[in-house]
Amino acid sequence: MIDIRVFYHKTGRARYISHLDMMRCMQRAIVRAKLPVWYTEGFNPHIYLTFALPLSLGYESKSEVMDLRLIDDAFPLSEVTSRLNDALPPDIRIHTTAKIQNKPQAITHAIYTIQLFGNTQSAEVLRDRFCAFMRSTQILVEKRAKQGRRKITKQIDIRPMCELLSCEVSGDVVLLTLKTQAGIQSNLNPSLLLEAFIQTNEGLPLRWHICRDALLMEDGSPFC
Amino acid sequence: MQLQQLDPILMRVQKPARYTGGELNSVTKDKNSVFMRFAFCFPDTYEIGMSHLGMKILYSLLNYREDTWCERVFAPWVDFEEEMKKENIPLYGLESFDPLYEFDIIGFTLQYELSYTNILNMLKLGGVPVLASERHDLKNLVIAGGPCACNPEPLVDFIDLFMLGEGEESMNELMDLYRDCKAANESKASFLQKAAQIGGIYVPSLYEVTYNEDGTVAQITPKDGAPKTVKKRIIRDFDKVFYPENFIVPFMGTVHDRAVVEVLRGCIRGCRFCQAGFLYRPLREKKPDTICAECRDLCESTGYEEVSLSSLSTSDYSDMESLLTQLFDYTQTRHINMTLPSLRIDNFSEELLEKIKAVRKSGLTFAPEAGTQRMRDVINKNISEEDVMHSCRLAFEGGYSSVKLYFMIGLPTETEEDIRGIIELAQRVVDLYYHTENRAKGQSVNVTVSVSTFVPKPFTPFQYEPQDTFAQIEEKHRILKDAVTSKKISLKYHHSDASVLEAVFARGDRRLAQVIYKAFLKGCTFDSWDDQFHYDRWMETFKECGLDPAFYANRRRSFDEILPWSHLDYCVSEAFLQRENKKAHEAAVTKNCRMQCAGCGANTLVGGKCFD
Ligand code: SF4
Repeated sequence: MIDIRVFYHKTGRARYISHLDMMRCMQRAIVRAKLPVWYTEGFNPHIYLTFALPLSLGYESKSEVMDLRLIDDAFPLSEVTSRLNDALPPDIRIHTTAKIQNKPQAITHAIYTIQLFGNTQSAEVLRDRFCAFMRSTQILVEKRAKQGRRKITKQIDIRPMCELLSCEVSGDVVLLTLKTQAGIQSNLNPSLLLEAFIQTNEGLPLRWHICRDALLMEDGSPFC
Repeated sequence: MQLQQLDPILMRVQKPARYTGGELNSVTKDKNSVFMRFAFCFPDTYEIGMSHLGMKILYSLLNYREDTWCERVFAPWVDFEEEMKKENIPLYGLESFDPLYEFDIIGFTLQYELSYTNILNMLKLGGVPVLASERHDLKNLVIAGGPCACNPEPLVDFIDLFMLGEGEESMNELMDLYRDCKAANESKASFLQKAAQIGGIYVPSLYEVTYNEDGTVAQITPKDGAPKTVKKRIIRDFDKVFYPENFIVPFMGTVHDRAVVEVLRGCIRGCRFCQAGFLYRPLREKKPDTICAECRDLCESTGYEEVSLSSLSTSDYSDMESLLTQLFDYTQTRHINMTLPSLRIDNFSEELLEKIKAVRKSGLTFAPEAGTQRMRDVINKNISEEDVMHSCRLAFEGGYSSVKLYFMIGLPTETEEDIRGIIELAQRVVDLYYHTENRAKGQSVNVTVSVSTFVPKPFTPFQYEPQDTFAQIEEKHRILKDAVTSKKISLKYHHSDASVLEAVFARGDRRLAQVIYKAFLKGCTFDSWDDQFHYDRWMETFKECGLDPAFYANRRRSFDEILPWSHLDYCVSEAFLQRENKKAHEAAVTKNCRMQCAGCGANTLVGGKCFD
């Protein structure tokens, strides 16, 4: 038995597959690909697989990770990649399969590229506003949480949870690169930041497109 | 249109995966290299439509043609519809995202009467004129098929032609004709005249209907060479019928999200309330080898973890033993579950139950349909109480502790005794559980009684019968509720006046088209969804149109009345239906087709005898 890690992209129409549906989609792809996978034991056996870090609905990703268990230790990993690609719809593409090196808990950060579309706003104005926004020392957002059994909303400061790596104009869009805390310790969804940005700018009309480019570990190296 | 245009609204609606397509096995073609574009429309939500077998078959059959690209269109849920209107986005095909008005042929499947307003709404959202008379070109031809096409009269203002019966052959004939007419730049009128010559194709505009003073039909007259009656199509050699090698595998959960193999078409039973039992006659089966090969192909191309056998009455399959043995051989080694729906209790053997038990652990369902033997004889549901008890005992001994029983109320000749009989039967099943010695220990029994309202349908022996009024049904619900004394019985019924509307459309005539149109303009859509159904709006519309719902739903029709669908021929003769109706009133049963032919007339479709 061998545990392996599959790295894949989720783009285009596949962006709207929810986390739960993704699980089912992958199980079926694995069956179609006839991979020698391990099934859980018990009354209702199913293929054992886990996903590292759930992606929000609508996000694109070039850093998706799925872990599988094969019963054939010698099964070529490149074969996993090619067979799965044949069995998956075009907007889900596997690019690498490798042996597992780190536990999913090792993920601490994520890198996102974000396109901002300002409708009536010129891209230059939008860029300046966003950069100014990111110079705030504090960005407070409301987060729903549970306290015992009660549901409460509490204010948290998300400014320390993210870092703007770049912010530039490209045609009529603003391109951002954002590094956020990610993983089980602390996780920031970029849309939370963007919504806060809209609020501080009196609800300016803004659309965005978010792509998760990479998952990083503590030392800054890519999760593998 | 591009996905990007949809992005902002997709984030604001429930279940965006309904609207994005891109599933495995969905078909993408280059639109410039096909000659015809077909939009297969299901007038309900994605989850419901994607569970429908007929759509899977025809989608695959049409895309098998090199000259055609078939896409899917579903009714957008109200939240998405609102966003589409706000952003000026027309309803589109899920594969290309192109608007509906760009398609050559727009085909609807008619599964239930309460989906009719959704058809109008989908056309409108897709930028296609709703009225057939306002669509002048051959492009945007709107066609429809499916069970409700057996009386499509209420829809004739909107649909250009209907396909009666099974579509696997006639669809290709129709496409060939369309291709030739499109290539020759022929007019819509000329195409329709030619189409009316294809077997099973009904072009309503080629028929004139006149009415008597009392509102009944006086005469139906064909013109421009259209046939006097249009006869349904069937596939004679069902074992050789086209069947898809793959299904689209949806990302999101759908109602039936699994592989399905069709084992037989038609039904030998002749239950007098069941429209499908008459519409799909005669019975035709596939060979076990064919079914198994189709099952294997599907499981392998989809990766589904579950397969089900589909038909009106799977347990009537003549070679069940060898079919199940072969299928289990395949599925059990591959972690595939098998489900066998609509099992009839009158031929449920212990052996079979053993095999099923190995794969299915949920509760069991039976459909006695009526509570007393007299009532069951009236509807020709040839099941005795002994049969019900026998099957339940087997189930209890096999470790089951919950059973679901299906019944109908509002049946012809029904008395209070018949209604109480439903609960009494359920009570005896409860008692049986405690008298079953080797039942599962330490569990309490639960008998669910699910009751639906009978709706008289065309081409059944009950097509002449009045439907109970809503007040009568309410009273019957009350009787049922009062009769339940045990906590082990859970009574479930659907309290809705929508079944009145269903009855009106099922046996309606052409004049109802204006009612549908006006109700749609008033915002009626998704009438089969309780939270979207507006009874008052509908009743108001009937009044405005000067039509009385009771005339259609609650009136007994005489045997010599010309029925609105009498020019459509499903090969069950009126003489037979009347015979059966009389027998129903005498509570006399008719044997099933395998035991003795009742002479319905469907044998003419297979040339001679239905069974050797
Ligand atoms: S012709 Fe006879 S055997 Fe054939 S479907 Fe009709 S009743 Fe049944």
